[in-house]
Amino acid sequence: MNTDTYLRSVLLLIALLATAASRTASGESSPSLGELRASVAALGGEAARLEEENRGLRAMLAQQEDGDVYIVVETENNRLTLRQNNTVLHTAVCGTGSRKFIEAETGTNWFFETPMGSFSVLGKERNPVWIRPNWSYVEENMPIPPANDPDRIVRGVLGKYALLLGNGYKIHGTTWTKLLGTHFTHGCVSLGDADLELVYSTAKIGTKVYLY
Amino acid sequence: MTALHRTPLNKRCAEPRRALRLRLLSALALVLIILCGAAFADDERDALMERQRTLKARVAALQREQDYLMFLQRMYESDSKYLVLDMKKKTAHLRYKNRLLKDIPLKEISPGFGRKVKAGEHAVTMKIEGAKERHALVLNNAFVLKWKRSEVPRPHASLPSIVVLKKDLFSFYYTIGPGMMAYVLE
Repeated sequence: MNTDTYLRSVLLLIALLATAASRTASGESSPSLGELRASVAALGGEAARLEEENRGLRAMLAQQEDGDVYIVVETENNRLTLRQNNTVLHTAVCGTGSRKFIEAETGTNWFFETPMGSFSVLGKERNPVWIRPNWSYVEENMPIPPANDPDRIVRGVLGKYALLLGNGYKIHGTTWTKLLGTHFTHGCVSLGDADLELVYSTAKIGTKVYLY
Repeated sequence: MTALHRTPLNKRCAEPRRALRLRLLSALALVLIILCGAAFADDERDALMERQRTLKARVAALQREQDYLMFLQRMYESDSKYLVLDMKKKTAHLRYKNRLLKDIPLKEISPGFGRKVKAGEHAVTMKIEGAKERHALVLNNAFVLKWKRSEVPRPHASLPSIVVLKKDLFSFYYTIGPGMMAYVLE
């Protein structure tokens, strides 16, 4: 090989190397550096936007978290739970509506079911008195007395405390403690004495009660 | 040899060669510079591609989070109970608005559930009233929520399923209807 041919070969090699290097630098087979930089910037912007939006959504949801204690009554399994911030404070075995149907001779009928839905504690009573309703007499095949009959006033059967939920429904005590955990009430939620005391002392007027 | 190089003829030949060598060296230097530049560009490209991958994953995670947060926002405004199925913690949360009503442990999850069932919103599409309380719920015709002895007839028998305790399923089974929403968290 003479000198000229040698030099030409070396120059050709250099040219080839330079071409290859410049191709690598410009990245002809994959996105260019410029495209990559733009894509990363766009993704960064997208992530920042989503983070901002999610922060806003979380804040909106957090505004609705009041940290208040609330009561949950699971009628199917007869369980009452005191909760706060999604934490269980106390669980108690309770009694709920018997789901029985009775009918008076007059045709009036009653279905003893605990109501479902969202309620609030409307009032708190100590040593509550039970005013016997008509169905109580019908159930025992007794004549129905007048509305203001003093015989209707019965003391000591609802325990020491009662939380009023409206429409005559209450969370109260019971003398039928052996039946707790079953469907035996006329629609109210019954609790044992110790559980009732705890629930009564924890709940305030306005405390939410969820029956399902 | 030295004497030969000193001849006028050799001197005349050596000059262009020197110039050529100089050109060659310059060209080599240029190639080296370009190659170094290319190496730097490769490093930057690798770094950018890694950043791109990380950001894509971050954006996907944020989109999933936003989807869930928007679901919660809708549920807080609605008047229906709903379920959040946390597949990682194997727990379902029965909720109403912003309140947690009950935590339900998921006893069994059929193999490949995560692959077959998309994360996100699902609605109860069917309540199956099985004999002897062997009830079950079909969600979105995509999966079944049932207890151990639930009877799931065809065509839903082949769907992926989640098994919970009978008392847990029954705690809400009777009080909900088709349309009840559930959200599957990955």
